[in-house]
Amino acid sequence: MPESADKSVSVNLENVPYQKLSDYRFFIGAMKNQVPNTQVIPYAPASSLFTDYAKKKRFLWIPWGQKASYVSDDQILDLPVGSALIKTFYYDHVEPANVTKIIETRVMIRKATGWIFANYIWNEEQTEAYLSLNGTNVPLSWKQNGQDMSTTYRIPSETECLTCHKLNNAPVPIGIKPQNMNWNYPYSNGAMNQLEKLIALNKLNDNVPSNIVSTVDYRDESQSIDMRFRSYVDINCAHCHSEERHCSYRPVRLAFNENALAVNMGLCVEPEELINSSQAYIIKPSDKNRSMMYYRMNSTLPSERMPLLGRTLVHREGLQLLEDWINWKTTCE
Amino acid sequence: MKRKITTILLLGLPLVNFAQNTCATAQPITAGTYTVATINGSGVPMVCTQDGISGTAGEWYTYTPTDDYSVTVTTALPGTGGTDTRFHVYTGTCGALTCVAGDDDGGGNLMSMATFNVTNGTTYLIAFDNRWTANGFDFQLTEGPVVPVITPPVTFTAQNITGDGGMYQIAVADMNGDFLDDIVSVSYSSVRINYQLSGGGFNAQEIPTSTADYTPDWSMAIGDIDKNGFNDMLYGSGNGVTFMKANATGTGYTEASGPQFVFSQRSNFVDINNDGHLDAFVCHDISPNVYYLNDGLGNLQFHQGGLGDYPDGGNYGSLWTDIDNDGDVDLFIAKCRGGGSNAKIDELHRNDGNGNFTDISVASNMADPQQSWSAAWNDYDNDGWMDALVGASSPDDGMHRLKRNNGDGTFSDVTAGSGWDANTSLNIEHVSYDFDNDGFTDVMGGGNKIMFNNGNMTFSPANYGFSEGSIGDLNNDGFLDIRTGTTVHFNNGNNNNWIKIHLQGIASNYNGIGARVEIYGDWGKQIRDVRSGDGFGYMNTLNVHFGIGQATEIDSLIIKWPSGQIDNVPNPTINEPITIVEGSGPLSLLSFDDKKIVVHPVPATDELNIDNIELLDVKTLRIYSQTGEVVSSFDKGMSKVAISQLPKGRYFLVIETLAGEKYSESFIRF
Repeated sequence: MPESADKSVSVNLENVPYQKLSDYRFFIGAMKNQVPNTQVIPYAPASSLFTDYAKKKRFLWIPWGQKASYVSDDQILDLPVGSALIKTFYYDHVEPANVTKIIETRVMIRKATGWIFANYIWNEEQTEAYLSLNGTNVPLSWKQNGQDMSTTYRIPSETECLTCHKLNNAPVPIGIKPQNMNWNYPYSNGAMNQLEKLIALNKLNDNVPSNIVSTVDYRDESQSIDMRFRSYVDINCAHCHSEERHCSYRPVRLAFNENALAVNMGLCVEPEELINSSQAYIIKPSDKNRSMMYYRMNSTLPSERMPLLGRTLVHREGLQLLEDWINWKTTCE
Repeated sequence: MKRKITTILLLGLPLVNFAQNTCATAQPITAGTYTVATINGSGVPMVCTQDGISGTAGEWYTYTPTDDYSVTVTTALPGTGGTDTRFHVYTGTCGALTCVAGDDDGGGNLMSMATFNVTNGTTYLIAFDNRWTANGFDFQLTEGPVVPVITPPVTFTAQNITGDGGMYQIAVADMNGDFLDDIVSVSYSSVRINYQLSGGGFNAQEIPTSTADYTPDWSMAIGDIDKNGFNDMLYGSGNGVTFMKANATGTGYTEASGPQFVFSQRSNFVDINNDGHLDAFVCHDISPNVYYLNDGLGNLQFHQGGLGDYPDGGNYGSLWTDIDNDGDVDLFIAKCRGGGSNAKIDELHRNDGNGNFTDISVASNMADPQQSWSAAWNDYDNDGWMDALVGASSPDDGMHRLKRNNGDGTFSDVTAGSGWDANTSLNIEHVSYDFDNDGFTDVMGGGNKIMFNNGNMTFSPANYGFSEGSIGDLNNDGFLDIRTGTTVHFNNGNNNNWIKIHLQGIASNYNGIGARVEIYGDWGKQIRDVRSGDGFGYMNTLNVHFGIGQATEIDSLIIKWPSGQIDNVPNPTINEPITIVEGSGPLSLLSFDDKKIVVHPVPATDELNIDNIELLDVKTLRIYSQTGEVVSSFDKGMSKVAISQLPKGRYFLVIETLAGEKYSESFIRF
């Protein structure tokens, strides 16, 4: 049963994006605790995008009485008009006070005309977040596993959002694909497969196949190097390096449903754009020093680094995974 | 270590040998096949391949031919087993080696192969290094008849510039007002300038700057936005744009950055509204393009809209050139974007004057969907109209396109048979200069080669061991050099003639950016447009350079300034630079009975001497400041003019005769 009207989630398509994050009532209690309101459902993809070590909480809102639909393993769930995806970016152990600090909450809302972006920047008091689509820089220092870290965190502008979140120029979500959702999420009342959970909550039509070809958590060392790396590049790279995407004119195809093919991963493929003659191939088997992908993932120069947007730091763990994969590959096949 | 098994040589199998491991004790070899078990000798002192990083260890061989040969050294042999090799070939003594040849990946699959001519009795040192791996491999040296080397139109000699260094080594331009191209390297809070010295060589200065909000990750442009005689810089970053302004003496720089998010790509200084002050234009990768209008005091006001407004951008290579010969510069934008987006369709915006532009992309036949990051514009057939080579960065939507300007606002695709259809090298940089001074502009693009213009709208490649970089004349010899990182590839020149033109605007912007420069002679006509910002990321010289081949005279040099002023210099001297101050003939060109009018000293502090001034019937003698203001005025000729009262800086001396002729010379009050 819906709660009383004034406490339930509000996504009025006539008026969104709202000026304040609290206006949606996605959360109950102190907003910084990110406790979801009734029928605001937490979720997570099996592998997640690296954004300068920011931590993330993700939530899904589907309007009362409506359901999402399965399309295919590798395409985002077809969410009904009025749905919202909510993603909060925060850091723990932020200096100087060693506190948790929420930086921004990014919301995508599906209107009848398509998806829109709404980005909310949190105040210093961590009591409210305000709409801003202009983008801004936030200097940040924090401790990561006891180590001092710092960066100028980039809150993206609307056009930066669109650069990754688009399919033939139309805004689209990225992560909420069956292939990424097909694992047990630790809900407050017990772990459960996320797709089954959505079906159980009457938020997803029960037409989901049982044999979804799925990504894995790239951090899960019980999985093969190949599955871990393929899952990693899918969530970190495929939003540009796929057909109909920002960088489809470059040869690699890095989406999970395409990247099992060695040539799509750039194995033994010569790059079209050289930085220097060291990088003879996009990936050279067993040789990171001749591999363009390694060079670019190891670079922080904006004109050289990959991904181009969303990071200023090197993702050490991701880079190690790439090196492991390069070393695991001994031939061009 | 190496082992030598001489017995199997007779069987034609690899010779495994025992050479010692330093240059001084290199193992003598003759033609044959050899096995290197592992690379564990002393490292190479100098890298003869493109990647300048040395390995830590090497294996050394010495080879002294007994006849003149064409020698091939290769590791592309079955016994190499795919080992990633690299080698260098030197002459000279161990303390003073000179590169002769070398190769990294020319053998295919990361193996190495190079062919070079050797001279009977000369000793060559061949060294393999462990840049990639110390693993063993086979190599073979074969001797064949000398193959005549096809001489490229010009050759280049690489020289490391000591004292250069910095995060962004992407600019060559004059920074101290002497018109000699300098080497500029930018870091967050400093700029390292290697000032070119008039006697050759460089003077390296590390100049602290205020910390730049944004750094030139994607491009740099240089020009004098406040007309103080010292060029200012634009840093184009993925997050915004920083202007780094020179102080009144060119000895310090202060940054100015706006709050606007700009995903910069190519940037330019150009006087967009033709008010005599340089504005700035920056390609936006993911939004409509942005530009900054100059208030006349060097303050730049942000604008967005009207100059390429595709909603999600795709703007990579902007270039300002006068495509319709109407005296103002038009805007071409090389564009690129994946997916089905029309952001990849190139744009051409015609300047209708007063800051008004009309999109003529489709009507002009320049609206191509090709994935291009830059286009090289010049008059490739010397018919007086600017043509375009739109370079491909990806083969996805077609390769390079050569577009001939029909002179009626339209362009024709003349790629077929031009040599560009056979060029499969992709690149983000394509720039046009006359590298061999033959009077036809060439194009440097991908594949470490220059496409030399054959003079008939066809191009032929010449391969070089280096990629594109910043272009300028870094030894003032009239042949254009190429800077890559801290290396300058000095053009060794040829016997072609040339002229360089240094422009100083008064009513127009200081650098004369946007001016059309024409020279006439036996060849007919050649034209250039003065540009700040061509290619994709680099900043190249602001001086105008023409080669004139074997011609020995230039009938006339015409400057069509952005202000509308037209200056005509008859018979300028060839093979030297000439400085033209807007609206006046150069004083230095005047000659009466072999007597010249000479202004000295340079620089001057108290008094300016004007020798032989009596040769002119002077009506007025005036000194103008950099901004065009008259600071001293006399109604007669004077052989000495006091200047101690003037603030330090650059000035113009302008003499008007009773007959109404104007002559000028610039000088520095120091």
